[in-house]
Amino acid sequence: MNDPYSVLGVTRGATDREIKKAYREMSRKYHPDSYSDDSQKRWAEGKFREVQEAYNQIVDERSGKTQQNYGGYGSGQQSYSEEDQHLMAAMNYIRARRYNEAINVLNAMENRSARWYYFSSYANMGLGNNVVAVDYAKRAVEMDPGNQEYAQYYQQLQNGGSAFGGSPFGGGYGGYGGYGGYGRYGGGDSCGTGNLCCDLWCADTLCECMGGDLCACM
Amino acid sequence: MFGYVTANKPEMKMREFARYKGFYCGLCRQLHKNHGRLGQLTLTYDMTFLVLLLSSLYEPETKEWKKRCLIHPAKKQFMLTNEVTDYASDMNILLTHDHFRDDWEDEKKLSAFLGMKVFARKKKRMIKKYPRQAEAVERALSELSERERENCRDIDAAARPFGNLMAELFVWREDPFQNILRQFGFYLGKFIYMMDACMDVEQDKKNNCYNPFLDEYGEDGFAEKIHRILEGTLHMAVAEFEKLPCEQDLAILRNILYEGVWTKYERKQNHDE
Repeated sequence: MNDPYSVLGVTRGATDREIKKAYREMSRKYHPDSYSDDSQKRWAEGKFREVQEAYNQIVDERSGKTQQNYGGYGSGQQSYSEEDQHLMAAMNYIRARRYNEAINVLNAMENRSARWYYFSSYANMGLGNNVVAVDYAKRAVEMDPGNQEYAQYYQQLQNGGSAFGGSPFGGGYGGYGGYGGYGRYGGGDSCGTGNLCCDLWCADTLCECMGGDLCACM
Repeated sequence: MFGYVTANKPEMKMREFARYKGFYCGLCRQLHKNHGRLGQLTLTYDMTFLVLLLSSLYEPETKEWKKRCLIHPAKKQFMLTNEVTDYASDMNILLTHDHFRDDWEDEKKLSAFLGMKVFARKKKRMIKKYPRQAEAVERALSELSERERENCRDIDAAARPFGNLMAELFVWREDPFQNILRQFGFYLGKFIYMMDACMDVEQDKKNNCYNPFLDEYGEDGFAEKIHRILEGTLHMAVAEFEKLPCEQDLAILRNILYEGVWTKYERKQNHDE
């Protein structure tokens, strides 16, 4: 397949926002609705799909789906206990994204170590069991507070897993803060986001809500 | 569905609200046109969200209308319709019939029984037209009642069938966006299910009805725990949404996802205090 970046006409260094914008432009250009002639329509449909695929591929890459750095056991050691072997089997299943099998192996184990909770959390997340996944990640951190890997994973889970685009959790979206005080979603409990542009944009949005306008260009 | 996926109107700009209402009225009109007066009664905000989302993602040619309707006879209403509106109105029928059956099986309501009869015929047509979605609805309902029979307390397992159902409805076209849309629908569906369970738990305890939160209800820190679970699940949904290259009506979509979905919950919270 072609390089997805060149399909969208952007460089590898483009921001998520630029990629969305490029997608929008290309998809409008090739929108099948704008062609009346049948052969042109078919050509446009093919192009449209290619652009969709390219976009999707970039999102997958950037949200870390394809390069999961999954830590675990070093390969140099010689002897493993039975427990280690089970955990390794579970890890292999997780790597192959066979989460149901991973959970079966894990649930058959008696000793539930911090690592057990970590792996179980991971496999559950893969199946979409987000509630228990967060619980288990927390357990792993509590049982082994010094472990950087668990702490980082727990942190990542709480930040919505793999973020792409203008996710508010990454700080891109800060417009709504005034209603009910859902601090995590908006400007939050302190006034301001720590970023001048963001603050300005917030202020502008708030102004516009009331019918005014602070910056005409936003 | 349940009407949780709605907008936070006070925070909307005038022209955003006009578009939102345009899609809402457009869906209402299409329900009437495709499924008659009874079909019109099934109108929900949840489906309006789906119309907005898919319209934004695919940008199909959209018609603008000014029409009078029975509900607002005095003034012509601004309406927006497109291919997605037709799809959503069909999905509404697919779901509504089961909604009636739910009520009938749960509470033996006469109105539900009548609704069931009338929609049965329409639903047959829809099953033929949308086999994938129809199968998802069927499977989800049987799994939901199974969870109920087991008296399931595992919230992930209890919410999963509804998540799977929404996942399938969100996939309008089976194209490269289907994975993101499925994930988004899955977590939003789970969120809706959990939200509904949270809103009903008090009533369900009184009436001795099934609710996945029954064991925890009344415990110390219950409200905080539920809030954390809801937030975490919505968080997953939103992360998927933000992957989509939506531009058109983005402010409305975010208003709904980041705030609107909490309006009923907050109203209840304030009421309880």
